[in-house]
Amino acid sequence: MLNKRILAVIKRELREKLFSKSFIVMTLLVPGLIFLAIGVQTLLITNQQKNLKIDVISDDPGLITALRSSFMSSEIGKDGKYLLTFQTENKNDVSKYVESKRNDINDDKLGGVVYIPESALKDKKVDYYAKSSQNISLFKDFDAPINKALIDSYFADRTLSKDDMNFLRSSVDFTGFKVTKEGGIKEEGYGNMIIAYLLTFLLYFSMIMIGQMTMQSVIEEKGSKIVEVILSSVSPTELMSGKILGASITGVIQMAIWLSPIILVMSTTIFVLPKEFLFSISSTVIIYALINFFIGLLTFIGLYAMMGAIFDNAQDAASGAMPVMMLILIPFFIAMSMIDNPNRPVAVIASYFPFASILVMPMRLTLVGVQIWQLAVATLINILTFVAIFPVAGKIYRVGILRTGKKPKWSEVIKWLKYKY
Amino acid sequence: MNLLEVRNLVKNFNGIKAVDNVSFKVPEGSIFGLIGRNGAGKTTTIRMMMNIYLPDSGEVVLGGVKVGQEFKNKVGYLPEERGLYKKMKVIETLMYFAELKGATGKEVNKKAEWYLNRFDLFDRRLSKMEDLSKGNQQKIQFITTILHDPEFVILDEPFSGLDPVNTNLLKDIILELKEQGKIIIFSTHLMDFAEKMCDHIVMIDHGKVVLEGPLSGIKQKYAQKNISLNYEGDINFLKGNPIVEKIEDFGNSTGIRLKDSNQSQQLLKLLVDNNIIVKKFDANDISLQEIFIELVGQEETNGSSVKKEVLYA
Repeated sequence: MLNKRILAVIKRELREKLFSKSFIVMTLLVPGLIFLAIGVQTLLITNQQKNLKIDVISDDPGLITALRSSFMSSEIGKDGKYLLTFQTENKNDVSKYVESKRNDINDDKLGGVVYIPESALKDKKVDYYAKSSQNISLFKDFDAPINKALIDSYFADRTLSKDDMNFLRSSVDFTGFKVTKEGGIKEEGYGNMIIAYLLTFLLYFSMIMIGQMTMQSVIEEKGSKIVEVILSSVSPTELMSGKILGASITGVIQMAIWLSPIILVMSTTIFVLPKEFLFSISSTVIIYALINFFIGLLTFIGLYAMMGAIFDNAQDAASGAMPVMMLILIPFFIAMSMIDNPNRPVAVIASYFPFASILVMPMRLTLVGVQIWQLAVATLINILTFVAIFPVAGKIYRVGILRTGKKPKWSEVIKWLKYKY
Repeated sequence: MNLLEVRNLVKNFNGIKAVDNVSFKVPEGSIFGLIGRNGAGKTTTIRMMMNIYLPDSGEVVLGGVKVGQEFKNKVGYLPEERGLYKKMKVIETLMYFAELKGATGKEVNKKAEWYLNRFDLFDRRLSKMEDLSKGNQQKIQFITTILHDPEFVILDEPFSGLDPVNTNLLKDIILELKEQGKIIIFSTHLMDFAEKMCDHIVMIDHGKVVLEGPLSGIKQKYAQKNISLNYEGDINFLKGNPIVEKIEDFGNSTGIRLKDSNQSQQLLKLLVDNNIIVKKFDANDISLQEIFIELVGQEETNGSSVKKEVLYA
């Protein structure tokens, strides 16, 4: 099936697409942004400020003792993020104390002062003095240990059991679990959901982008009459196959580059993600996604090439390509609708439906997990769709590519299928 | 044997017969002209020869075998409406079109550079096509047509849109190719080019072959049938004469067409016998243009009668 002429066409398509400025920019921009997002997360985790000096003061010596033991037993007391000093100050001297530290705070020698007055035992109100008064990360870190110390002191003279105390101290903690059909329940963060949406969005985006590029290139060949010269050397089917294969290979290369951040995070330890963003996808998912994407590209690019051959200017083609766009857009929305219920029936049906399967099945796979045979069935359906579509698209392409003149009606296009060309 | 033969080609578009039972043979070592008006069916015939269109019926045969991809590789084809990739570089364009014909490698590259040198375009080999002038783009198009050293060169209206310099250049190339033993087929509606260059012609009108044969033979036959006459006297007696087919007054001279080419002496005798003073009697001067108008132009004056007769000289 592949001969020298098709290879020549593929080579030209690859050269033309891979080295076009818009392709390079788009291809590098997407993973650039993903890397940036992951990089920022990694930076926040690994390079977070160490030994930030914080003075913890209180006008109640008992509270200071409780705070010290509470902080020392908590995680932030151990991981070295903060360097804490505990001090008792007179209620009236607090403002004087802060005043004395003014220079240290402004010279970044001191991160800040946390003042827990005795009255906090009634209203839990705590003061924070620093260069910037709003420090969400510090508030989050200090919330639990301070709360614990306050609870401990508050209930110190009352008789409560240790269990009661533990219950009081703890806050509500959500943990997400993924239930798979293979059995077993895994703990999991938002990571998979993010990956699923990213994957779907990239599939959608890349298919439309490369489809449009191919359509433009067919219109160019038709409009500038290059096609007749080419057809004196190759058959229309060879030309179309070469173009579709060239564009699809371009697409897979693009997708592999786009997915490289995910692959890198999976396979190396260069990047670290916060626990809540961790994802668990296997390399099978990535390989399936790429194969599935390749089949999808063959199908949709075939349709886009057909549209390019029917019309001879970009404007007519853009409106003519709307039905093809819908074939990508509707499944895209179905896939997106899986956010509140990945198991909604329409999504399950769509994951096996010709055309729709290409976008919906990878989403299902990453979100809820499917069995191998289900993947196989979906892939088979996609291949059959391509096999059914290709001769039709090829015929219309063959007839359309040499036609010029007025914009054909759809009824005429259907008649082309009966032409002998 | 490299005899290229077109047999009974038929092609309909939406019920309109674009090509209607066209047959001809292209003799070896000749420049073959496919002539006819615009829309006569020349391009459709050529496209079927190139396997770009499938004929409704009929076939194109080379050395007794139906043509296919093998033939495509042996042909250099310059379509009437031609374009090249705007963003592609000159040398890349040449190499790509040669590669589609199966010609690759250093040899082809060398040859491409040789042609570029010859056409004064070597310093533009790394330019993009869109940066070239129209005339230079046309030169690149010629080179793509012949770079892979084809046995057959098919040119569809090659002179349309060419500037005078390129017209001459292309003429030279065609003659050179002929000397190298290539078979050249070109279609044109410009009769003077066909007359100057072709050894052999086939004339197509309304999808049908109306004339085929070696140009010299055709001209001889038509010349003797058509007499250009200057005279004094009244020649009205000729009207209705069985040997005369048509009399046309051109002002300065009168054209008389005979029913048969060997009746010219008879006509001269008739004129002398009827006391007409013959000032000029030329039975040896006819251009292809005149033959063309005689054969296909008459229906415009005679309504819709299509000439069915096929002449072979």
